[in-house]
Formats: sequence, C-alpha cells, structure tokens
Amino acid sequence: MSSPGRLSQALRFLNKVGAVWIAVILLYLVSGLISPGMFQVSQALNILQIAAFLGIVAIGQTLALLVGGIDLSVAGVVTMSNIVVTSLMVGRSDTLIPALAISLLLAAAVGFINGSLITLARVTPLVATLGTNSILFGAALVYTGGAPHGSISPEFAVCGQGHLFGLPVSTICWIAIGLAMAWITRQTTFGRRLYAVGANPAAARLMGVPINRILIATYVLSSVMACLGGLLLTSYIGSPSLGIGDQFLLTSVAAVVVGGTALSGGSGSILGTIGGAIFITELNSFTNIVRVSTGSRFVLQGAVIALSVLMYHLVGSKRTSSQTNHQ
Amino acid sequence: METKKDVYFVTRRQAIRLGAGALGFAAFSRVFPAYGADAVSNAAITAVGETVSGSKYKKNGSFRIGFSNGFSGNTWRTECLYSVKKEASQHKEVTDFIIVDGQGDISKQVNDIENLVSQNVDAILCIPNSGSAVAPALREATKQGIVTIPFNLPVDGEAWTAFTGTDPEKKGFGLGKWLRETLGDSAKIVALGGLPGNSYTASAWAGAQKAFQGSNIQVLAFRDAYWEEDRAKVVMADLIAAYPQIDGVWCDGSQVAAGATKALLAAKRPLVPVTGDDYNGLLKLYQEQSGNYPKFKIGLLSEPTWEGVIALRTALKLLNGEDVPKRQIIEPRLITSENYKDYLRPALPDGVFVDTDLSDDELKTLFKS
Repeated sequence: MSSPGRLSQALRFLNKVGAVWIAVILLYLVSGLISPGMFQVSQALNILQIAAFLGIVAIGQTLALLVGGIDLSVAGVVTMSNIVVTSLMVGRSDTLIPALAISLLLAAAVGFINGSLITLARVTPLVATLGTNSILFGAALVYTGGAPHGSISPEFAVCGQGHLFGLPVSTICWIAIGLAMAWITRQTTFGRRLYAVGANPAAARLMGVPINRILIATYVLSSVMACLGGLLLTSYIGSPSLGIGDQFLLTSVAAVVVGGTALSGGSGSILGTIGGAIFITELNSFTNIVRVSTGSRFVLQGAVIALSVLMYHLVGSKRTSSQTNHQ
Repeated sequence: METKKDVYFVTRRQAIRLGAGALGFAAFSRVFPAYGADAVSNAAITAVGETVSGSKYKKNGSFRIGFSNGFSGNTWRTECLYSVKKEASQHKEVTDFIIVDGQGDISKQVNDIENLVSQNVDAILCIPNSGSAVAPALREATKQGIVTIPFNLPVDGEAWTAFTGTDPEKKGFGLGKWLRETLGDSAKIVALGGLPGNSYTASAWAGAQKAFQGSNIQVLAFRDAYWEEDRAKVVMADLIAAYPQIDGVWCDGSQVAAGATKALLAAKRPLVPVTGDDYNGLLKLYQEQSGNYPKFKIGLLSEPTWEGVIALRTALKLLNGEDVPKRQIIEPRLITSENYKDYLRPALPDGVFVDTDLSDDELKTLFKS
C-alpha cells in the first residue's frame, strides 16, 4: 500500500528534522498574516534576540529531561546570576571578568548540589531541584536584604543588546552554545551515555555507564546553561531584580517538551529545543500583538502547547506502529 | 452611615522639620482634631468613612504589635518594612513588634494572622496577599478586640478596624488624565500593567479608562508586564513591531515604564510620555534621556513606602483611646518633568522608591551601595 507508506515516510521526515520547526514556520506565517508587523526583519530579529534567553536555559533543561530528570532550579539560578553579576559589576568594567566567573562557579556548585542530592541522597529530581530553587530565592533575599543594587558594565551590555553582522549578539551566543551542546550530545561518549541513562538506567548500569557521574555532570551543565541564559538576560535589561528568573520555571520545560524531548527521558534533541524556544517566544510575541484579552492569551498559549505535545504523541505512536509493520 | 471627608497637605520639608514623628503627629492632630489622618511626606491624605472610636480599644501600658506581610522580595516592601520597623523602635510603649512573612502564599498568611491572634497581640497590621482570603481571619481578630489595620492593598468588607493606602482607581485616573492632557485627545497609546489578574492594576486601569472617556484616545493594547523591567521591555518590543505609531504609554508602575522606554531606545524610536510611580530607575533614565528626546515626559504618582508608618501610628492612636478615620486614603502628588529633581536620588540604585521617609544614608545602608 503506497499511501500509508508515504505517510510514514513523511512522518519519519518530520521526526528527523523536528516537527517543531514546521510549527515555528506555520505560526510565523499565521501571525504575520494577522499582524504584518511580524514580517518585519526587525521583529524577526527581536524574536530571535529574546528567544536566546529562554533558549539557553532550555538547552540545560533538555539535558536534565534527557537523563529522565527535571531541573526546576533554573529559575533560581537565573535570579542568582542576575543578582550576583550586577552586585559585583556595579557598572564597572574592571570587575567584568571576576563577576562572570563567580556567577558561573556558583551555578556549577548549585548543579553539583542538585546532582549529588539526586544520585547520592536519592531525592527525586523534582523535589531536589524545587528545593534548591527555593533555597536560591531565599539566599538572594538574604544576600540583597530584599533591596538589590548594582548594574552592568557598558561592555557587558553588548552581549544582550548589541548586534554583530546584523544579528543580535545574544542570538549568536545561543546558536554557538546550541551547536556545541548538540555536538556533545550526539557525537561524544558523554552524549551517548546521557541518552542511555535516560532511556534505561538499569541497562546503562549493566553496560558499565557511570550513572552517578553522568547525572551530576548533567545537572552541573544544566545550571551553567541557566546561568548563561540569566547573564544574557541581565545584559539585555542592565539591572537587578529578584523576580527575574520566575518566568523560566515552567517555560523552560514547555520549550523542551514542545521541541520534542520526552518527559520520560532518553529521547529528544537540542536542535528541537532551539525550535521549541523560538516557538514559545513567537507564541508570546504573537499573543502580545493580537488583540485578545489576558484570559484568552493564557488559554491560547496553553492550548497550543498541549496540542503540540498531543501531536508528538500521535506522530510518535504512528512511527512505532509503522516500524512494527515493517518488521 | 455618616461620611466625612477631610484633606490636608504637608510638604516633605515641613514633615522633616516637624520631625516626621510624634511631634508632627501631635501638631496635625491639633489642627484636625476629629479626623487626624497622618502624614510623613508631601502627600495629601483624605479621611473617608465614619470615625472609629478609640475608646473601646484603649489599653494602658505596653503594646504587642504584629505585622503580617504578604510577601517580601521587592524593594518597595523592603523599604516599607524598614520604615515600619524604625517607627516601631521609636515608640517605647511598643514592647514587641512581631513580623511574619506570608511568602506570597494566601493560606500561609491566614495562618500567620491566626498565630498572631494566639500570641495575644494588641494590634495587627497587614498587607494582604488576597483581599478576600484574609478577610475572615481579620474579622475573627477584630471580634476578639484586636485592632486590625490592613494597609497598602484593600481587604474585602469592613470587618477590620481601619485602612490606610492609596486608591488605585483614583491613581489610575490621575495618570490617565495626565496622559490625556499631555498627548491631546486623539493620541494612540498602549497600556502595560502588573501581574496578570491582579486587582490593583485592574482598578487603576478602570480609572484610566474613565479619564479617557469622551476623547478619541485609541488604546492599541493592554498587556501584563509583571512590574518587571525585563518583561516590560520584551512586551513593548513586540508592540513596537505591531504598531508604527505609539504616542504614549500608560503604566501603573515605573519599572514597567522604564522597561518600555528601554525598548523604544533599543528600537531607535523617539521616546514618548510615560506614566508610573516613584521608582528611581525611571527618574534616572529621564534625567539621562530627556535632553535627547523633547517629547519624552513623565507623569508619576507615587506609592509611598511610609504607608506602614501611618498604619502603625493609627494602631497606636486607637490603643491610646483616640479616634481615627475608617479609611485614610493617601493622595500622592504628581511627579512630572517639572519637579522630578526634587525626588531623584542620583547616587542611589534604580530599585529605590523615592517617596520614602528614609534618608539617603539609611537607603544606602539598606541597599548596601
């Protein structure tokens, strides 16, 4: 039968390139038809610039989901990096490097604690990272006394606000980090082990994969990514805020899931997540532009995310059944 | 119900000269003996509603006062907390000042209030997380003879002793009126609010719409911006792409106005009139950019961080047997391009809310800058 064969071919193609990219293009066309402003080059670049913050945080979240976990401390890490970097930089250039280094080191330490709680203390990832998130918020409150101060140096503002070859610098950073992480997850032993741990930890253990080390490294990377995303966002806005990270708690998970990574672990890709982050940002931007009420915006956003997850399930199950047929 | 209204003004300088404390309070009470609303800054305070008799609350000796703060974690609350603690420390009769933090949790705050009642406090000050959720807990406390003073954000019903705060609808109206007068009757504007579904923004926006009535002012969009600069900048960037002409931005908070202004700067669009409150970041931005953009104007109504001081003084008046108004509505003065320099604190961080009774030195300590 040719037509089901063609259908399964099409589905396999979709799965390979990431269905999310089709969704990204469709949403862009629809929103552009409704509001022509979306078709302006400046608006496309604006979406890519803003998507970079969520995009980098979501890359870290992808790693956590790939190993079958979740990292809800990304929100706290974004806030922490914002508070730490502005308070250490205080608008000066000479403190730029130490401020960035300290932020990254702190983030790595947070990731290490998350990983250790999950592997050594056997706390479930959701509870461990949510706990860390709460601790980080509390620590930010104590550190600032509820009154954050400081600002970024003019050089640092280039990362979040500047352009290079017509592209926003934040987008370039994001693409570079995304490509590097895509390569690491696909081409290195570490990457293959990451998928193995997520797909079947027992089998991975039998194959001699050092599960604990992989998990700890994953959470360290996830925190470092959240920190990088937070640093870029800080550079975009220039000032500290104790609530700056909150928006990433669930949107980072949404971007990863929309990008096709399974919540159950072992399946998904960084490139899909990049598409997922663009999709979520595009959707926000679209609902900002169209004339709908606040309530309808939330319904629309939730419905589109739920629908895309449903489509993955359908595509996924079709693929499985067509593979079974071939056998 | 008998309704009495009274308004009076006192400038910041007068307040400072009078000591902004018991001395000033005594002086004003003499001028307005019946409805002695209180002030520490250059705001007008309107007494609304019947007068609450202090005789049934009068106690001798020392007082235990509780403060149920809905959450902490923004600079407004930090300054408010500092001011009210400082005020409490200046009253010898206040032997215990117990602060509990609801951590943004509606049910925790109800529990906090119940705990304060069981600790036998004489008065409870409260900034509610939800005006409806805390109402029963405050009613119960009031029934037990405890003075209950919600402030800053309103609590449903009237089963509390007295209220202090601004009127968001009036503020929204005032900001809308300023925007209309500044832009003329046929401008195109966008509006940016706070957290989705919050009652403060809803009331303020309702007030603004009243101010626009009868004009051809076109509201292109109303969006939530979470009272965060970064969120406002992102939303505004989208609106800039959608609407080639935006003549003004109505905001109920100045972090949002600052974020929107930064988005205009990033898009290389001329700056336009914005509204907001007394966030130092916007005043600094105005100082920096107003020379480059002649159409850039600010119309701001502060949300005084000393509201808690008034709330505490009201509680103490009642415990001393004095009468107070049921509602003391603070009516802040308008901060505009003409008078912003009186409020600007150039040496202090963006996060400072400038309508405060705290000195620069105290703010520097608070902000560790």
